[in-house]
Amino acid sequence: MDKDLIALSPWGTGPLGLSPTERSRLTPSPFEPPGYPMTPTSSLRAQAIFMSPATLIAAGIVLPPLLFVFYTSVHGLALSPVSFSAVLTSTLFRQTLSTTLYIAGLSSLLSLFLGFVVALHLARQPARRRGFLMILVLLPFWTNVLVKTFAFMIILGRDGLINSLLSWIFQTKIELPLVLNLFGVLVGMTSYLVPLVVLPILASLLAIDRAIYRAAAIMGARPARIFWTVTIPMSLPGVFAGLLSAFVLSLGAFVIPALLGGPRDAMLSNLVDFYNREVLNWPMASAIGVLLLGMAFFFAAPLALWRRRKI
Amino acid sequence: MSDIIHDPQARRHRVVGTALAVTVYLFLLAPFLVTIPMAFGPANSLTFPPANYSFDLFRMFFRSPGWLNPLFESLKVAGAVMAVAMFAGAPAGYWIARHEFAGKGLLTGLIMSPLVVPTIVAALGLYFYFSYLRIDATTLSIVLGHLMVSLPYVIVMVLAGVNKLDRNLEFGAELMGAGPLRMFVTVVIPQLIPTLVSAALFAFLLSFDEVIISWFLAGPDTITLPVKMYTDLIFEVSPVIAAVSALLTAISLLVTIAAIVLRKGAPVDT
Repeated sequence: MDKDLIALSPWGTGPLGLSPTERSRLTPSPFEPPGYPMTPTSSLRAQAIFMSPATLIAAGIVLPPLLFVFYTSVHGLALSPVSFSAVLTSTLFRQTLSTTLYIAGLSSLLSLFLGFVVALHLARQPARRRGFLMILVLLPFWTNVLVKTFAFMIILGRDGLINSLLSWIFQTKIELPLVLNLFGVLVGMTSYLVPLVVLPILASLLAIDRAIYRAAAIMGARPARIFWTVTIPMSLPGVFAGLLSAFVLSLGAFVIPALLGGPRDAMLSNLVDFYNREVLNWPMASAIGVLLLGMAFFFAAPLALWRRRKI
Repeated sequence: MSDIIHDPQARRHRVVGTALAVTVYLFLLAPFLVTIPMAFGPANSLTFPPANYSFDLFRMFFRSPGWLNPLFESLKVAGAVMAVAMFAGAPAGYWIARHEFAGKGLLTGLIMSPLVVPTIVAALGLYFYFSYLRIDATTLSIVLGHLMVSLPYVIVMVLAGVNKLDRNLEFGAELMGAGPLRMFVTVVIPQLIPTLVSAALFAFLLSFDEVIISWFLAGPDTITLPVKMYTDLIFEVSPVIAAVSALLTAISLLVTIAAIVLRKGAPVDT
């Protein structure tokens, strides 16, 4: 089928004498669908029509802000690393950095665990019911983070839902500090990240060939053993993708630590906002931004490389 | 799953798995189970469950210019972002999916970078850039800022949609002499309509819900609904926020259901 297609197509052999499939194998693209080779652009005019609006946006809106941040962080053409050394030696920055890594790591692991449970459940449902249950996962994913934050303020607050429930059960006034501290941030972050983790794991689980389960069962493996030797290893690509994307996303968390955390739970984004809005020290804000950007790219790189290799 | 060998433990495992999953579903839905009843609660208290039910909070919301102006600002911005992101993203997504060209990796990398760049960095950069251009605190600046983060999502969705199309139809059109543009309009777009509609809805929602970029760019006359909500949550939590939350949830629910229904025709694999 694939070969027929190439034989039919006017682009049967590429300019380098390689067939499009061969070429696509040599230069794999992350966006290429399996089976259909890419076409080399034949008409520059058509390409200009199709690509120019997006190119204009890339050149006019996406690139300049990033350049401005770099430019400001080194004090413009002075190219001075003063702000970077000030940032790296500041206790506030170091404390915020370790808080950020701690919260991002812990909440990604928590959401990995919860997300895996949900993905496993979804993978075992018949397609129709899965469609309905997916709404329960996708709705929180697409709901404004402020709505969730507000709800957790009500649930976890001093006179909140949980404290009133506990007070009623034990018939004494209970005021557990559940919000404006690390606990509150972790609850909010986990609720925010779980749907993000579920989707790649579910894709991995659905890709497992059912015959493997059956084979394992015929060979006498108990469900627990099948789980540890088939389900877990074969879901690792999704686990890896989900964990990394959750971690990268949570590095830049802003609203949740600001509203559900206390002063000690501020994350790097909040520090950027603080330097920009309160201190009006733009080089400092930019230097922190550059470091945050570097961290995000550092942790996103394995994900991008892995996706590229998969195809 | 293991239909062949009956293991007495299998059932127990499944029950535990389902119970855990239901707990997580409840955790994910808890915000809605709390805010939606509260939205119909009394106007003077923030307790759950509400003592009595009414539409007072919605009435307060729709009568207060302090909330209505941000709502209109957000609708205006999100509508504009949706239009521009679709106009730029749909053809670009198609072209990237189907063609190889010089500088493709660099250009797509740049367009897609906001998916990885922390929003706060983008927001700070946009703030510097638009102050330099002297268009800070305008509606235009917020639209452009939201466009930066919405465009990659539109392109990713269009890419996924195009990758599911049968390419033979395009080959056919091309062999019959249709140029790229004509083929796109008459062959690709009609097949892509479900994808395009859900991409447009998500572009709208992304902009309508965006907090950080708006927080950096909004001026006194261009406060968006999320910025108004954020400032309220920082300084004084008013019960009206429950009504706003219910409205925002309703919009998200509509978009999510529309996306799932529209995907039904296509094979679900992601």
